[in-house]
Amino acid sequence: MIELYPAGKRYTVKNDWLESNLGFSFGEYYDSSNIQFGPLRVFNDDTVQAGKGFGIHPHREAEIVSIVLKGQLKHEDNLGNAGIISRGNIQRISAGTGVLHSEFNASNQEEVQFLQLWFLPNEKKLIPSYEDISYDIEQLHNHLLPVISRTGSDRVAKIHQDLTLYLSKLEDKKTLNFRQEAGRKIYVFNIEGEISINKDSILKSRDAARITDTHEITIHGNQDSFFLLIDLPGGEF
Amino acid sequence: MLMIRHSIGSRLLCQTNIYTIEKKDHHWLISLPVDVETASGILNFQDELNIFEVKENEKIWYYSSDAQINFQSKEKQLMILADHKTVYPTQ
Repeated sequence: MIELYPAGKRYTVKNDWLESNLGFSFGEYYDSSNIQFGPLRVFNDDTVQAGKGFGIHPHREAEIVSIVLKGQLKHEDNLGNAGIISRGNIQRISAGTGVLHSEFNASNQEEVQFLQLWFLPNEKKLIPSYEDISYDIEQLHNHLLPVISRTGSDRVAKIHQDLTLYLSKLEDKKTLNFRQEAGRKIYVFNIEGEISINKDSILKSRDAARITDTHEITIHGNQDSFFLLIDLPGGEF
Repeated sequence: MLMIRHSIGSRLLCQTNIYTIEKKDHHWLISLPVDVETASGILNFQDELNIFEVKENEKIWYYSSDAQINFQSKEKQLMILADHKTVYPTQ
């Protein structure tokens, strides 16, 4: 089954420095029918104005992934990590028993757009850790490029959950196939352009699809597109 | 001031100036009077609570990793046994 979640139906939080479009219940937005999809618990599509950001705040028991789409995001934490990530980088924080961090737009000129995903970890009370990687943008073309996985590897961030997150830039009229083990789930988020899944399910910019009981899909570029796909474990979370 | 927030998105569940925090070996017993409705809202998220004691220049973050939280309905008193404490500056 492929369930579509149009961009326009997401809950939006907006103030003078932040626009956050929420894929799942988060903060003031609480919908008991939209808590999570497998271990995927948060999917925030954020735009932060120049020079603004989130001051020091804590996290625990979450695997937090940030994917910058535009601009620069500055990170600092109490583990001693500090740096700036931009398009082509992936940041993974394992909050575990607790981490304090801040996130600011590193630019005083332009906004930063980024996706922030939180996954439930496969183990509680982990030692907090941080990683950022650079993926090869050239490898995205008409290819599902893994950028996060349970095992991690060169240019693939390691996450404490049985999942793989892929990014892809699919050209107009090109097609990709994806197959996973039975019993698992697929989450697709179309970042830019328009794609169709198994012909009939069309995702425009920022639309999402939650896929269960369908373990082989064909993704077609209806125009030049940029999307992410997550191969998620099945079962109860 | 004491604030109890949901750990996913920081939704405020309770805010009060009437509370006590008592050190108990490696734990901290946080007690505060709450009404039944507020207690229910907090207990719904007992595995996902962050407790903040907010002072002038610092915040103190507590949580109970095993959700040791109890509401004494007769006394209308909420008791949280926290096993984690971190102090950090507000700026």
